[in-house]
Amino acid sequence: MPRLLATVKKQLMIDNNVEKRIVALHERLVYLKDIFAGKHADDVNLLEDRLNSFRLRLKEEDVSDPYTDIASVEDLFAYVERKLDSSITPMDKVRIVRHPQRICLRDILENVYDTFTEVGGQDEYSLDPSMLIARAVITRHRGKKTYHQPVMVIGQEKGHGAEFRNGGSVKPWGNAKAMQFMRVAETEGIPIHCYVFTPGSFPIEDYPGAAQQIAKNIYGMAGLRVPVIAIISEGGSGGAEAISLADRRLMLSHGYYSVISPEGAAAIEGHLKSGMRATPELIEHCADHLHITAADNLNFGYIDRIIQEPALGARPWHFDFFRTLRQEVIRATDEVIIQTRILPVFKTLARNRHTRPNADLESLYIHWGLSAAAKKRLVAKRQKKFLGLSKQAACDHRPWHTKVIENLSDCISKPWISFKYDFYRKHQRKIQTFMEEIDNEWETFKHKALSPWRKFRHDIEKKNNKQGEELTALSAWTKDLRRKKWNYLSPRYKIDQTLTCPNSADYGCLDLWGPDLFGEFAGVCSYCGYHFPMEPEWYVRNVFDRDSVMEFNSEIEAGNPLDFPDFAQRIAKAQERNGTRSGCMTFEARISNIKIIVAMLMGTFRGGSVGAAEGYKFVEAAERATKKRYPFLAYVHGTAGMRIQEGTHALIQMPRCTVAVRRYIESGGLYMVLYDTNSFAGPVASFLGCSPYQFAVRSSNLGFAGPGVIKETTGIDIPPRYHRSTEALSRGHIQGIWDRRQIRANLKQALRTIGGRNLYYR
Amino acid sequence: MMEKNKPKEAEIEQKPKLSLSDHKVLVANRGEIAMRIMRACHNLSIPFAAVYTREDAQSGHVDLARSLGGDNCLYRVSSYHDANEIMSVADAAGCTAVHPGYGFFAEDFRFARRVTKRDRSMIFIGPSWKIIRELGDKINTKRLARSLGVPTVPGSDRPIYDEAEAEHIAKSLFAFQEQQGVTHPLVLVKASAGGGGMGIEEVYDPDQFRSVYRRIRNYALRQFKDEGVLIEQRIKDFNHLEVQIVSDRTGSHPVHFGTRNCSIQSTGRQKRIEVAPGFAPDTLDYSFDAARVLTNIVDYSLTMATKVGYDNVGTWEWIVTRSGEPFLMEVNTRIQVENGVSACISHVAGRGCVDLISEQIRLGLGEDLGYTQAEIATEGVGLEYRIIAEDPANNFTPWVGTIETFHWQETPWLTMLTHVPTNRSYEIPTEFDPNLALAIIWGKNLEEAKERGLAFLSSIELKGKNAAGDELKSNIDFLKANTEHLLRF
Repeated sequence: MPRLLATVKKQLMIDNNVEKRIVALHERLVYLKDIFAGKHADDVNLLEDRLNSFRLRLKEEDVSDPYTDIASVEDLFAYVERKLDSSITPMDKVRIVRHPQRICLRDILENVYDTFTEVGGQDEYSLDPSMLIARAVITRHRGKKTYHQPVMVIGQEKGHGAEFRNGGSVKPWGNAKAMQFMRVAETEGIPIHCYVFTPGSFPIEDYPGAAQQIAKNIYGMAGLRVPVIAIISEGGSGGAEAISLADRRLMLSHGYYSVISPEGAAAIEGHLKSGMRATPELIEHCADHLHITAADNLNFGYIDRIIQEPALGARPWHFDFFRTLRQEVIRATDEVIIQTRILPVFKTLARNRHTRPNADLESLYIHWGLSAAAKKRLVAKRQKKFLGLSKQAACDHRPWHTKVIENLSDCISKPWISFKYDFYRKHQRKIQTFMEEIDNEWETFKHKALSPWRKFRHDIEKKNNKQGEELTALSAWTKDLRRKKWNYLSPRYKIDQTLTCPNSADYGCLDLWGPDLFGEFAGVCSYCGYHFPMEPEWYVRNVFDRDSVMEFNSEIEAGNPLDFPDFAQRIAKAQERNGTRSGCMTFEARISNIKIIVAMLMGTFRGGSVGAAEGYKFVEAAERATKKRYPFLAYVHGTAGMRIQEGTHALIQMPRCTVAVRRYIESGGLYMVLYDTNSFAGPVASFLGCSPYQFAVRSSNLGFAGPGVIKETTGIDIPPRYHRSTEALSRGHIQGIWDRRQIRANLKQALRTIGGRNLYYR
Repeated sequence: MMEKNKPKEAEIEQKPKLSLSDHKVLVANRGEIAMRIMRACHNLSIPFAAVYTREDAQSGHVDLARSLGGDNCLYRVSSYHDANEIMSVADAAGCTAVHPGYGFFAEDFRFARRVTKRDRSMIFIGPSWKIIRELGDKINTKRLARSLGVPTVPGSDRPIYDEAEAEHIAKSLFAFQEQQGVTHPLVLVKASAGGGGMGIEEVYDPDQFRSVYRRIRNYALRQFKDEGVLIEQRIKDFNHLEVQIVSDRTGSHPVHFGTRNCSIQSTGRQKRIEVAPGFAPDTLDYSFDAARVLTNIVDYSLTMATKVGYDNVGTWEWIVTRSGEPFLMEVNTRIQVENGVSACISHVAGRGCVDLISEQIRLGLGEDLGYTQAEIATEGVGLEYRIIAEDPANNFTPWVGTIETFHWQETPWLTMLTHVPTNRSYEIPTEFDPNLALAIIWGKNLEEAKERGLAFLSSIELKGKNAAGDELKSNIDFLKANTEHLLRF
């Protein structure tokens, strides 16, 4: 009987609380095993043994005080976790952010904000459940007063592994939804908090298209007139950029921010065909060298601040972490607001209050609305911030005096150009109209006065029968436009070979003789019109006026900013083979004497990938076009995406170049993009895809991810010709398809008919 | 690149010239022209290779190739239009030259260029590719003619892009024709980049011009990506004449083999009867000095040939109006179907009869001409009938079926050229023109030629049936009826 009583007593002691804590510890153990993927086995086994023995003892009723015991097990767990946290590798972090136990956006909404209302869908009933949007409120108290500060929270929701959330991989329409609610926030004048929890965007082309929608988002965010804060946990490539062009970018200490997943990088580095898997060692190697951690990115300047997470990463029960996070997002938002103020006294006072280490932001109220002028300053600040990034990652070999002269001439030319176009041109028009009227009167008078003489001459001409002569004699024809010879022929025209058109099975094209095809035919199949790829030089020499091409900034070289193993040699090889220092050539040229600035991405230089140097040159070209009021053409001979070996140095070019393009377009220019051969990924999803005038050369392909990547990431088999320019045209991604031989004529037409109001020749 | 090429070219120049029999000619054509080329090669003792397609396996040219060149000279190809196959055959057979005949690649400068510029270079038997390109371009030819004072059809000689200018030319053309006494003046608007009858429209009313011009311009822009148009006088009521030019590779002293008149044509402007010489001023009355017109067009043609350095056989096509005004139409840079009529009335002093195809091959392979214009004499009148399975009453629709009987009376004044076998029935392949035979007839004057022609036509026995069992239709009656009108306006 007493024995029975004791049992009952003990059973009562093992109440729900202990049971729950055991389950929690078990989950921590599973988490530990998962994120280290077999590493640190000793520590894991130790914890497992302790947990199991505690359970066993509990079962055998060998526990005197379960609360004390379990607390000691928990302490051991905490100790080991802290210990392991110091030896965490980049790849471990990748596994941490992907783990179902990782905090999700909903956890943040519940714990960081005071109330929230989900908009744009509920759970699985949503246009895209992987993109979560909520109107949230932060409540602050100052003295007795309470302030409710609304924000728009936007971010990817991984839903702790719920399948319908698609792992936070957002479909094109999900990103469109995000953009829609950013506009709502802009209208309402409330700050936007973006939480980045994505391994990457879902790479499908259905309207509005993965690449084009991301481009629209980046372009839109470059000009949003409300404060934007981005908090990055998993920053996977383009999907991350779609919502992270922000005034302040915070990053969770255990997150990663990368141009590509380590697996993707390994597949490229290992030259794997689809279906093959990279070895764990190669993946780990890539993760290490891509410099994807928060510390790396803070060091590069691509994030502003790191939010420290608990050991081995934040999970939903880390309530302290949510408090920290709340402080940090409030601080960041406040800082952005303070930054836009101009009165120095208030600015300094407010900043000092905020930077005090133990400042309680909950009681420091700052109004989050902005005046119209402050909004302008806010946008300008954001744009400047991005334009200034990553310059150090390119090798700028321009001699110092070139730069000095350029800066000096800027000082002079800027006011001169604004005088010339904004003042002189306006008044010139009035003078011209006046002069024309005088001229009209004079001509009418002359006509009357000279009419007898004209009649006399006319009669003589009739007698001489000049008419017949005019119709039968050789006429003057100075410009021999008809037999137009190409200024440049592909060197392949010298090779006596026959080539089979890829469409020959469908259209019955006969084989083409190389010298005809690469010479006179300009690489176009004379049966079906298929365009064989041509060299970049072909375009430079044949599209623009003869001898009008003037390259600039050729001294900005592609480098190896991450010291990626073996990459310096590969860049050197590409430079030698291509005869250029980077994959982007920027030049001034003329088309029928209209001056134009061109940035050309060359598919022949490492696939046309864009790194820091290419982005630098692109930005410089856009700024030059803005200054000179020239039209700006991005001719994409080919691009494979951002240069993965440069990591975030390359990735940051997406928002950076888009900012430059937006500034150019808003200055009243004409920004055109012409895609050729194959154009994919980052560049299309940012500074190319945001152009209002995008055209493609016939037989080109464009899109977000290639067929192999789509199959790999989504498991979907895509139909043939999925990325053909004709498909892109049907989907509304581009405005037209041009024949290569007509590029010059079409550009001429475009320059005359489209574009903004501030072009120099208007 | 140019620097490198120069010594290479010099090397080729220094190579000793091959004698004719060291060459081997690929006959890259079918039917009767292939047969004439093979015979010419045979007579010149030049070995040759021939091609045929599956549809042509029963054609007479295959038989002839077998009998003159043996089984090994024949190669089956899938199409006469595939340059790649032609090159492969040439390489496999070890040919040193390619004769394109007429049609197919005869006036394709790219083919000619490929033959000569490929690594295993060969001779293209025809003018050099640059000349084919230059004279193959109508605007270029017209401008060349005008620059030499050779008369061309009144109108523009360059593409017109400007509407005001176009209207001015059209207006002038109407006024000009009225001045010349043309009762129903017509103006032709055509896409300058076009060809083959596409994008051409007639204007008979000056007020209508603007809308036609715009239509053609838009069509040209859509179709040829070039909105240039040509505006010319549309000449009706004319005779179609041509001048046969022959030159060796030096191109410095071309000769002519007289004129031909090809005015009897089908409704689709396909020639049906050709006569040499082009007019008969001795027997017929003309309202103009016909002999002088013939001399003029020959002189004009020679002037142009000399100017461009024309280096093989070619034909200058002319139209002569009722008032005796000649206008240059175009230059055919190839041997023509009707070359036989000029040959049959010509002989060269010391060499006797002329075979223009032999001359073409011989000169094409680099031999000197070896005679001057003064040594070429003509005698009599030549006629050529094109005997075709077609229905002249029904818009010259081709007739398809099997020929069972094909006989005619052989005479010394008749040369019959046909690929249709007479010893067996022959199914006309549908892939090609239904041309059956060319009959070349010689007479000492026009009257005798006509008489003999009619006699020949009456002697023909041509019978066959198609799949539906209908009787063969031919143009023999059409030829008979038109013999009467020869060389008359």
